[in-house]
Amino acid sequence: MLEISQSLLHGFAIALQPVYLYYALIGTILGTIVGVLPGLGPLGAMAILLSFTLKLDAAGAMILFAGIYYGAMYGGSTTSILLNIPGEAASVVTCIDGYKMAQKGRAGAALTVSAVGSFIAGTISILGLMGVVLFLADIALRFGPPEFFAIGVCGLVLLVRLTGGSILQAFIMILLGMALATVGMDFLTGIGRFTFGIHELEQGIDFLPVAMGIFGIAEVLTAVEQKEFIQPVKTVGLRELLPTREEWRRSFPAMFRGSILGFIIGLVPGPSPVISTFVSYICEKRLSKNPGEFGEGAIEGVAGPESANNAAVGGAYVPLFALGIPFTPAMAIVLGTLMLHGLTPGPNLIKTKPDLFWTVIASMYIGNFMLLVLNLPLVNVFVRILKVPQNILMPVIVLICLIGVYTVNASYLDLLMLAVFGFVGYALRGVGFQVAPLILAMVIGPMLETSLRQSLSITGGNLAGMILRPICLALYIIVGLTFALPVVWKSIKKSRLLRRSQIQGKIPDK
Amino acid sequence: MERDNRRNEKITAFVLFGFALFYFLSSWRMKMGSPRNPGPGLIPLITGSLLLLCTAAYLIRVLRPKSGGRKEEKAPPRGEKNYGAIFGILGCTLAYPFLLEYGKFIASTFAVVYVMLVLLKPSRSLLSFFLALGMAVGSFVIFSFLLGVALPSGFLEDLLFRIGG
Repeated sequence: MLEISQSLLHGFAIALQPVYLYYALIGTILGTIVGVLPGLGPLGAMAILLSFTLKLDAAGAMILFAGIYYGAMYGGSTTSILLNIPGEAASVVTCIDGYKMAQKGRAGAALTVSAVGSFIAGTISILGLMGVVLFLADIALRFGPPEFFAIGVCGLVLLVRLTGGSILQAFIMILLGMALATVGMDFLTGIGRFTFGIHELEQGIDFLPVAMGIFGIAEVLTAVEQKEFIQPVKTVGLRELLPTREEWRRSFPAMFRGSILGFIIGLVPGPSPVISTFVSYICEKRLSKNPGEFGEGAIEGVAGPESANNAAVGGAYVPLFALGIPFTPAMAIVLGTLMLHGLTPGPNLIKTKPDLFWTVIASMYIGNFMLLVLNLPLVNVFVRILKVPQNILMPVIVLICLIGVYTVNASYLDLLMLAVFGFVGYALRGVGFQVAPLILAMVIGPMLETSLRQSLSITGGNLAGMILRPICLALYIIVGLTFALPVVWKSIKKSRLLRRSQIQGKIPDK
Repeated sequence: MERDNRRNEKITAFVLFGFALFYFLSSWRMKMGSPRNPGPGLIPLITGSLLLLCTAAYLIRVLRPKSGGRKEEKAPPRGEKNYGAIFGILGCTLAYPFLLEYGKFIASTFAVVYVMLVLLKPSRSLLSFFLALGMAVGSFVIFSFLLGVALPSGFLEDLLFRIGG
């Protein structure tokens, strides 16, 4: 415990250096702007800024991204409450009661509760992150390639199940990502795969143009599809920001519940910040003495989900730091950033680079504090960003993507990849595919391949030996249950319905 | 709109299936190795086979006439699409690498940004001209002067360097 406190203090000492404070500030401001703008989510912003983090050290890049992620969660709530526009998916639930509160003249209270809730959630999730990561990392040091392969498979399968939408489409995306990851020289034999004689492809398809194309360019193409619409901006006076004593009393328990729920859900693969808001909202509604108020401006309906989505961000860092496996697309981009800096996240990273780990943890806390202090007084400034015309904003984003990709390798092939994957992302989204699993699989792909080939070599090609190890078996059982349970549940529901219909005499007995 | 979506779905399904088939056949030619000592072709073959199966299932699903109860993730209706802007921006991103090679940074960035601005707001071409010029010069100053990024330089860029000292 003493060692943890000392490490954390050391992390704070580094994170409080002016340069890191500056990165945290830039990250939170950028994140808030991204959260305010509908369409461009934290994922897109992180992908767009990926190349620019190469100019920073690894800790600086991580601090910037943590700021963006937290800031986006907060920024999204601002437009949800004031304008009924969810800046991104995790803020959809906040619209329900947040906007109703704004209509009743309580927008300021909703914004304050959301900011304080986000801060409390951030704090709780960082404490949870510290505890769980260290515990999990210690266990993970004993894992071998079969365990890492099983964790990777389990993560991808759970992602498919929890992301929602068509399972088949999600599987296609994962397999496409895996296929892209196999391009380039084989790491064991040095044989080129799918390079077609193009020398630049021997290094593999770079993660950067793919991510920036699929999220950056594709977002722009999706945004310009429709004619421009500038939202009339609503503002809030500083005096209106203070909630009443009753509102505080009702909000605090919801904030704590949301924080704990959010952190736990953040550990699970999938779009955890989004799922956590829905779960928290349902939970608050069930626990409320006045469930009828929900949908009409219940403050718990803002406090719970807003805390949950922030706590889920902290939770999502756990598998990345402890196991080196990203369970969410945003974490895949964080992993990509670390890899671009020559670092491999996982249990060893905490041991070999403790400074980096503790600095990031400390800066998360600082970032949360910055959000609380800056965002409430500046709420009107951020809302005015919605007035920037789309016809100026979109070319700027494209330009950032183009320069961003070019600056890394000065490669024309990378620029072509950016355009191609921009179109691919746009086309796939247009027919209902979710492209995030593709990026996740592309990042995890090489790790899965390495661990599978190592596992087969270790076990002498014995598949049973790979599967029947205790942790692996448990994980494969989870994978099996993930698919079996919904089918069983569906058939139980169907038979219940049939029985009920028979009792009511609608369908005659055979 | 519904018909457009169906057509796009079919095109996507065919392209995905075509890619899967190509990937599978290419991976087939690679060395599989043995279970004890897996070769470079093992993972591509597994991935290719699964991808081929999944894309075939998707193709069948898309080609099958729709039944009322089928649940599928659908893109939301988007109204009249601005195809000019979509393909224009895409064309700009595709053309940029080639322009950059011959026109160097400022001229090619100006050209690409100007086209995008005009495509998105055709009524303000003069304003777009100055905005594009500002963005091209501004981005060169930010990335080259302030961040020290090596960008393709020609006459204009050298001139800016001389002015900037």
